[in-house]
Amino acid sequence: MSLFQPETSMFEPLETQDGAEVITRPSLSYWQDAWVRLKKNTRAIISLNIIILLAIFTLLGPFFWDVDPALQDLNQVSQPPSMPKTALVVGSYQSWDGVTIENYEPPEDYADSVPAPTNFRTEGKPTTQVVRLVWDPVPEADGYNVYRNVREPQGFADLGLPLGATYGDELSYEDRLSLESRDYYYSVVPTDGIDEYEIFARLVITPQLAITQEDALERGLINRIDDVAIGELVEIEFHPLGTDYLGRDMLARLMEGARVSLFIGIVAPLLYVIVGIIYGGFAGYIGGRFDVVLMRFADFVVALPFLLFMILFKIAFGIGPGESGIMPMLIALVLLMWPATARLVRGQVLQIREEGYIEAARLLGGKNHYLIMRHIIPNTMGVILVTLTFAVPAAIFTEAFLSFIGMGVAPPTPSWGSMCNEGVKTMLSHPHELFFPALLISITVLAFNLLGDGLTEALDSKMRSRD
Amino acid sequence: MRHITVFLTCLIILFQDASASPVDFENQTITVAIEQEPPQLNSAKATDQVSGMVLGHLMEGLVRYDRRGRVVPGVATRWEMTDDKATFYLRKDARWSDGKPVTAHDFVFAWRTALKPITASEYAFIFFPIKNAQAINKGEMPADQLGAIALDDYTVEVSLERPTAYFIKLTAFVTFSPIREDFFNAKGDEYAANADDMLYNGAFIMPEWTHSASLKMVKNQNYWNKDNITLNAINVDYITADTRARLNLYTDGKIAFTRLDGETYKDALSQRFRIRRFTTGSVFFIEYNHRPERVTSNINLRKAIQHVFDPDEMVNRVLAVPGNLRGESIFPVWLNGVEDKFRREYPAPTARYSVATAKQYLERAREQLGGEIPPLVLLVGDSPTATKQGEYMQGLLLNKLGLEVKIDVQTFKQRLAKMTSGDFDMVGAGWGPDFDDIMTFGDLFASWNLNNRGRYKNPAYDRLVRIAMNSTDPKTRMDAMGEGQQILFDDAALLPQYEQGIIYLLHPKVKGVVRRVVGADPDYTHAKVIP
Repeated sequence: MSLFQPETSMFEPLETQDGAEVITRPSLSYWQDAWVRLKKNTRAIISLNIIILLAIFTLLGPFFWDVDPALQDLNQVSQPPSMPKTALVVGSYQSWDGVTIENYEPPEDYADSVPAPTNFRTEGKPTTQVVRLVWDPVPEADGYNVYRNVREPQGFADLGLPLGATYGDELSYEDRLSLESRDYYYSVVPTDGIDEYEIFARLVITPQLAITQEDALERGLINRIDDVAIGELVEIEFHPLGTDYLGRDMLARLMEGARVSLFIGIVAPLLYVIVGIIYGGFAGYIGGRFDVVLMRFADFVVALPFLLFMILFKIAFGIGPGESGIMPMLIALVLLMWPATARLVRGQVLQIREEGYIEAARLLGGKNHYLIMRHIIPNTMGVILVTLTFAVPAAIFTEAFLSFIGMGVAPPTPSWGSMCNEGVKTMLSHPHELFFPALLISITVLAFNLLGDGLTEALDSKMRSRD
Repeated sequence: MRHITVFLTCLIILFQDASASPVDFENQTITVAIEQEPPQLNSAKATDQVSGMVLGHLMEGLVRYDRRGRVVPGVATRWEMTDDKATFYLRKDARWSDGKPVTAHDFVFAWRTALKPITASEYAFIFFPIKNAQAINKGEMPADQLGAIALDDYTVEVSLERPTAYFIKLTAFVTFSPIREDFFNAKGDEYAANADDMLYNGAFIMPEWTHSASLKMVKNQNYWNKDNITLNAINVDYITADTRARLNLYTDGKIAFTRLDGETYKDALSQRFRIRRFTTGSVFFIEYNHRPERVTSNINLRKAIQHVFDPDEMVNRVLAVPGNLRGESIFPVWLNGVEDKFRREYPAPTARYSVATAKQYLERAREQLGGEIPPLVLLVGDSPTATKQGEYMQGLLLNKLGLEVKIDVQTFKQRLAKMTSGDFDMVGAGWGPDFDDIMTFGDLFASWNLNNRGRYKNPAYDRLVRIAMNSTDPKTRMDAMGEGQQILFDDAALLPQYEQGIIYLLHPKVKGVVRRVVGADPDYTHAKVIP
């Protein structure tokens, strides 16, 4: 048995090639690599764009939509989103004596039944400023009740809203109760002074949207009183997202509210995450008894009730009634919310400081601050960023909740939470007052959560091998 | 799955069982809800409306009001009245719920008890027209010196401190209800704490009272007028202040009566319920703090606010609930004057809405107060309507006058405490009538009245109140109050906002429920269920 014996002549030197050791794929730093992977995550990128849009909405929005969020427009209360409207200009309200019977004698005996009032009509043009109703007397009646419905009444029990009652000598009624430009079914029912006869006359009216001349001037819709004559049309204030229960512009309020909500939502987490990093970093890096003491204190802080502290801070800072509770809210958040981040960072630091490369760096003479700045902090950044993105929605929710229960902003300053609180009362009749702030809270929270998810995946270096 | 079906069936059965009708024709029974647990059923100490409503059914005073608001006999069958004396002749068939007769001594005892300083009744002042009442309440005289005595078992004689035109009407008020001495002393502090600790002389008795949950009123078989009472029982099965919850109970057929508010009425309309309207007779207004250290003590500042506030806008656009009337005066429109209504005889002066005039007043106020006016604190209640009104005022004063307002939202008790200590600039206040006379509103801004929490003090007004209190001549009294109305307006002592109106639902099969401006409201005493 012979073994194969290679000879030198059997080998030829390989020709030298250029670039055999050139790195063909681009060199990516940790952050570039994360960014590449984040970009592949559609949900995260959409969320990121939404967050940028929200920032633009909050910071630049007021420059494009320059409306005072506290200005009340009582001509347009609880208006749903709509296109620009024009209104009839009318003279200022003049009180009206109505139609009365001279030398009225109440009926001596009350009849069992009476005929319905006749000739039920309006006097003057019905507008959203005033609707004046007049009818002819019913001989044996000693009073009349006036009703208004927004649907066609189906029988006597369905006459709608009882607007008012008149005495027997009054044959007119003036309705000014939150009139809108829509169909109204008015009914007038004769009474014996207390009880109603089961008969009525009906009238359908569609008042025209109207604004008084003085009001138009005061609101800046016209510049001088003789710009628009009575009887002409004028364009009234435009509210693209409608108005709230005092006629305040929803869009302007949402922008102003966003400032409060996003301020708390971003500043508070930033501050308490920084506190958490420092605290957790120290505990983890120094370790030992020091670590135990620090972490037990963190456990103690976790056990403190947030709401109670919020109230205590409010009192301690002398924040009186009717003043904004945003600062105590911020301080309470920062003072009580850091332990979660601290624990996370401490865990990471404990793990990282035992790694081989740390040992190597230490052997090569790396000092503590170098090790922390160069190796430990950058390696915990992924975890920290993810905590931060999840902390933002939590803080926005906290603010919304506290404003919802009246502990947050003071009126008239809105925040999304307080707007929800006001909107929920009118949820069934004017859903837009709840819908828009609730939608914005939901979108913001969802966007930050999805971005957080995306970042978790992108910053986790173990995911890298899958590509 | 089967378990779920069984469970669902059980649930459905449970719900069906519970959804009996709120009215029962056979048994003449109705089921209603009240807004809160009655805080105090001792008639000597009760102050609030819910207690007043319950006590109005359980107790009967010397006189009562009929459905048109006229005074009719209660325990007294007739009475005589002079300038210094009122004599009541009691019926002999009036009985307590344990069968013993209601006597003159029970009335005298009740009034003395209410006046004793140890009772600390907030309504003690209502007895002050009676001789020595004020001194007894201050502890300067023993209670048996009260100018009300029982001449015999069935005659009460009242000596008056001063001529009081409205004294008969006063005795319909709940604090004037009788209390029987032996029963009261036997119960001690427990009196009226539970259903067993009460004795009734009204149309109904209360056999069950589960605190904070429910109570039940049943026809009193010992009541002298029981033949004219049709209802056998009023079940108060629910106690909740939540109007939406009550509307749901009404919709589900659990209760026969509920009040609506600015939002719930829209749901009631869409369900085609018959809505009724009632003006409660209460006046709501902004009360200013007149203490000298407050900026609101400056008349020009108050005048400025008076000229930008439009009660029409408040009533029609902000409150937006039918039944409210525009506020023009502390005296509501329903008060009687000499022959007609007071407000028809003495029309309330009103300020013409004018921002320009208001700004002139404000300028003067700034000069007098030395520069800028600090933010005003507006104290309001914690109901949605109250905070809405507060925000409206805040926006109004900011937009029209550039005045900053801070809204201080407080619960009722806390608001009252802050009002008493003077910790406010403006407060959203309301006043409901206790008896059917102009003085129930007239002395509210008298400097000695403890309910004048803004400490308004004008000797001219005080003088007019004294004239109206001490006279029995209607013309003199009304002239004085007409002049007083003008003074309050000239001083801008308060800012009347609205006269309260409410809307409510009542089961169509219940008839004869009376809504009252004064006295127990709603009053089911003479209600009946029709088939």
